[in-house]
Amino acid sequence: MASNSPPGVDGPLFKRALLGSLSWLAANHEEANRLNVFPVPDGDTGTNMLLTLQSAVEDIKDSNAAEVSKIAKLASHGSLMGARGNSGVILSQIFRGFARAVEGKSSLTPRELAAAFEEAANAAYRAVNKPTEGTILTVAREAGRAATAAASEPDASVPSVIAAATQGARAAVLKTPSQLNILREAGVVDAGGFGLQIILEGMLKTVEEVDAMPDRPAAARPQAAQAALELPEGGWGYCTEFLIEGTKLDTEAIRNQIEALGNSVMVVGEPELVKVHVHTDDPTRVIALAGRYGKLLKLNVGDMSTQHRRILESEAAGAKPPRPNGVGLVAVVAGSGLVEIFQGLGVDVIVEGGQTMNPSTQDMLIAIESVPYDEVILLPNNRNVILAAKQVASLTKKKVHVLETHSVPEGVAAVVAFRPDRSGAANVAAMKDEAERVQTIEVTHAVRDTRSNGLRVKKGDVIGLINEKLEFAGRDYAEVVNKALGKLGPDSYELVTVYRGAGASEDELENLQTAIRSNFPGLEVEVQQGGQQHYPFILSVE
Amino acid sequence: MASKTHTALVAGNQWGRVEVFPSAVAAIAGHAAMGCYGITGMAARGLRDGVAELLRRESVDRGVEVVEVEGGLAIDIYVIVQYGIRITEVAHNLQETVSFEVERAVNVPVVEVNVNVQGVREERR
Repeated sequence: MASNSPPGVDGPLFKRALLGSLSWLAANHEEANRLNVFPVPDGDTGTNMLLTLQSAVEDIKDSNAAEVSKIAKLASHGSLMGARGNSGVILSQIFRGFARAVEGKSSLTPRELAAAFEEAANAAYRAVNKPTEGTILTVAREAGRAATAAASEPDASVPSVIAAATQGARAAVLKTPSQLNILREAGVVDAGGFGLQIILEGMLKTVEEVDAMPDRPAAARPQAAQAALELPEGGWGYCTEFLIEGTKLDTEAIRNQIEALGNSVMVVGEPELVKVHVHTDDPTRVIALAGRYGKLLKLNVGDMSTQHRRILESEAAGAKPPRPNGVGLVAVVAGSGLVEIFQGLGVDVIVEGGQTMNPSTQDMLIAIESVPYDEVILLPNNRNVILAAKQVASLTKKKVHVLETHSVPEGVAAVVAFRPDRSGAANVAAMKDEAERVQTIEVTHAVRDTRSNGLRVKKGDVIGLINEKLEFAGRDYAEVVNKALGKLGPDSYELVTVYRGAGASEDELENLQTAIRSNFPGLEVEVQQGGQQHYPFILSVE
Repeated sequence: MASKTHTALVAGNQWGRVEVFPSAVAAIAGHAAMGCYGITGMAARGLRDGVAELLRRESVDRGVEVVEVEGGLAIDIYVIVQYGIRITEVAHNLQETVSFEVERAVNVPVVEVNVNVQGVREERR
């Protein structure tokens, strides 16, 4: 099928390279989102670039054009129409410049490819009065320069030129903090530039695959581009799905090859149309492999890599038998101990977040989508998270109940009340009752002088909140907790669960326990290692 | 004068008053706009003989109108954009950047940024 060393970049190769870019960006765009600081801190650069690239690919995926110029023109048009955000607009100009440079050409030599990269950057520069260095523009220019330098080597090839462009982009991205103050202050690299680097890496992976595996999947091939990204080894993957349209497709043979590249493999269909689903570390490789069988449709690479970082999936989730009621549980919580507690209680997916690090709607959406049930109960466990949580409900096809838990103790009480043999609605009602029954005492330090609720508080004072309301201030934890328990009226309660935060020492815990036991002999005290930030102690009183 | 109102934004503290005139806000907005991707330049309000006039760098504030409204500032901005670019996205980014830069500079909320695209230019050079 594919020749050992493609002589140039023709239409089909460029198309496949862009598909490779798309899948690699789909897998990494969250990383770019997290880098966004400029000019408006909103954190959607990666998503905008992804949507723009998707629109570019949308236009080419049904084209069988042999000429690179036609594919480039379609991509340019598609990216222009679908440009989202500033970085997307710039990306569309990069495509526009590329398309112009290759106009009338059916295939590109390495030298022509490099020239097209350079012209792409130039076109992007021309659309701005005052180019800011240290942005995607700089990265595009450096990639073009590196490509041109590589193209003048005697043994230059298409992969070597793209590899050089990728390398140039990577080096330029790393330099962006030294060019742009705002990046240096935030301690990040430029998000748009990083996105462009990912796009080039995706191309490189594709051309290397085409180059290296004409006959069979090279399972043991080193993955240079991947290693350079320093992605964690093992434990993550991309949910990759697509259809292959062709003739006399051998489902069995395709499955065997794809199984070597990942797990959770599903290959089903007929000789003319095959559906493929796989969890793989390297979607571009799967796509390159599948591309040899026929035309790829409805390509979708799900982002599981960010879940590796931000979402700690309950390890046992895969092994557990499915719940009879088909209802999943997602909780927002931070602190290693609390994460374990919620997992231990059967929560399917944890989204890390809380008081000062509110998770985004996107984080929660990914979590909900990754739960293997169509109905999900979401526990925000913090007042500040509830609003975002409610938004998620409208973004997914799944039925989402947002149970408005305001604190960790409320969340725990709610989860304990969950029963797998009861319908979603019945569970929500029961969990809500339990959450309301429990009283929360949060103990922390005042971050500034303030007057609240008739109380004068000095910065650094220990303060106690009962159900989020500031009630007491004092010198030490035990004193404040005593007052708070006294106010709640210990006679109406039996059990106090103390969640010890990261900021509380062994002695402080000991003092607190002793104080509670001696002042309120009727209360049973239980201690859990919560590991939460900001609150040395959180107490659940029930 | 770029601005309709001549009332300045006034803030007082124990050392005295700080006044920021709308013309100053207009200049800040104009320069922020000039740095936006896809913007060829600022245009004078209205057309001269039916053609948008591209303003020189020194007078970018002539392409901006600043009005104080309830809750903050309303900014009208007149621009010429680059040909071959998605105007809605460029305009959207312009709105975000102008409101961000103005709010950062004068610490007054920007309630609206209205973008008027007066013309389209083919790229320079």
